[in-house]
Amino acid sequence: MVDIVFGIGITALTGALATIAGAAEDTESNIGSQGDPNSQVQLAPQMGFMHRIFNKAVAGEPPAYGLWCALGAGLAWAFMAMYPNPVLAIVLGSVLAVIVQGVYATTAYLGRTASLAKFGQPVYVDILKSMTTVTMAHAFIAIFGTVALCQLINGALEHPFPLPLLGLIWGVTLGAAGSATGNPYYGKERQYQNQKFGAGVPISASGNIVRYAEAGERNSLDNGWFTAKIGGAASGLCFGLIVFLELWRTILFEKSFDGWGAVIVGILVILIFTIIDRYIEVWARKNYGPYSEIKEASS
Amino acid sequence: MSVKVEVIEGGVPHSKILIAGFVGTLVCLYLTYLNVLTTHTGMFAFFGGLAAVIALIWGSHTIKVLCSYGIGTGVPSAGMIAFGSGTIAFLFATKFGDAAPIVAVVLAAVVGFILGWVSNNVLNMRIPAMVQALTEMAVVGALTLMGFAALMTGGFTFTGLTSVSVGTTMGTNTFLGGCLIAVAFLLGAIAIQHPFNACLGPGWKQDRMLMLTAECGFLSMIVAAIMSYALVDHVSATISLIVALVGWVYTYKEYIVLSRRDAAAWLDSKPIPEVEGH
Repeated sequence: MVDIVFGIGITALTGALATIAGAAEDTESNIGSQGDPNSQVQLAPQMGFMHRIFNKAVAGEPPAYGLWCALGAGLAWAFMAMYPNPVLAIVLGSVLAVIVQGVYATTAYLGRTASLAKFGQPVYVDILKSMTTVTMAHAFIAIFGTVALCQLINGALEHPFPLPLLGLIWGVTLGAAGSATGNPYYGKERQYQNQKFGAGVPISASGNIVRYAEAGERNSLDNGWFTAKIGGAASGLCFGLIVFLELWRTILFEKSFDGWGAVIVGILVILIFTIIDRYIEVWARKNYGPYSEIKEASS
Repeated sequence: MSVKVEVIEGGVPHSKILIAGFVGTLVCLYLTYLNVLTTHTGMFAFFGGLAAVIALIWGSHTIKVLCSYGIGTGVPSAGMIAFGSGTIAFLFATKFGDAAPIVAVVLAAVVGFILGWVSNNVLNMRIPAMVQALTEMAVVGALTLMGFAALMTGGFTFTGLTSVSVGTTMGTNTFLGGCLIAVAFLLGAIAIQHPFNACLGPGWKQDRMLMLTAECGFLSMIVAAIMSYALVDHVSATISLIVALVGWVYTYKEYIVLSRRDAAAWLDSKPIPEVEGH
């Protein structure tokens, strides 16, 4: 058992790292059109809408980030087994994991685009070069933040799980947080700015994503720039809260009732969030819905 | 009632890939046994990585066969179930010493068959390829994990995976104790599903997809070889790393060549092409 003040300090630090990692993760996945928005980017050329949007569909974000973070953590673990220098090990592990992420991103873009040859969608080499490097940079921040918080949990808070397993668990959580929180902002709003706000995606507008920017043609860097402001921050807040509350309840209540105290507080936190979510949903429906009339969407 | 949305046109038939993958993987796994025969070196650990690559090639084609039917989930889920069911068989089989790969195959086939039967008959998915595909994928998952384990530790027995090999000082630094199996699990699960997930569509080509699988396999082998520095001696790990790097560079170049062959156009800093009606 670690000292409570020390434990809360580490908890705050991991929460901060998680917030940064979450924000970077969402921006990365939006630049790569990963997760929720991917199907529309994939569909667009089939509906006749050629685009210059980057499309790296490696997997859903939770399994993909599960791999990147578990890999970063596994490599860091291996380096630490040889030379006890955690900072260097985590940095090197994250760098190597990011290289794997970058290679996967390039093969995903090339594969998807080549399979759409029938519809005339070209491969843009400049998109491949400029977008991949930007996603790698964001992914590095996300992986480094997550592996570092895993090392804090393992090393400072004396969690019994080895670093690679913590990397897997928190990597999947990171991907899930970014996928659930940040992605709808890109997939429902940014991709469909040409539709009425809040109208969802009518079938007739499927694949008709926004392909032209304020000046010139839109690429995925514009999407990353746009979603970093709200979607990224919301994802960061989400992942940061998950990590912080998880560790907070463990540090403070693990001694009560033979460890059941932490479980009870965990259930209470879930209940409180459920009530807040329900309140927000009802409030939003009262203020913004239902739609008064159904209009034909134009493409 | 499921609808088959794509068919395999041309290329190598699945049965050939199945047999070649099965035999190749087992042969490579047993070649790592040279480590034991030649007075306990780890120099033949790289055969474990090659076993994983071959198994992945076979498995990714199985995913193509299965996902040609509308299975109702994304392609990545196929990779997860392959390795989820394979892990059980792999861990259990490691207790059987030299017979581990054979036991893994049998046990994984049983687990996969049950899962396939449950999917088709209890969940009523009624997909013709389901039972065979899930059986194959469980075997692929178990053998790939065994390949990565042999690559990282030099052997595939439970003792080898839980005890310290060469060059380390800490007792928890083992494949299972350090939970490197979690990394091997995801390396394999993503590598097996990515090729079909990335190459699906009307322009799917078998050679391009299989080349991508080999590329993903060698890429996973590179990082696994780097992790193996903590578990086997440096000479063995370096041999594995060099083999992986050579394989990766070749397959990555070939994959780009094949993508360029299949792409509609290969443009650099060009605007969106004009299409009639839009």
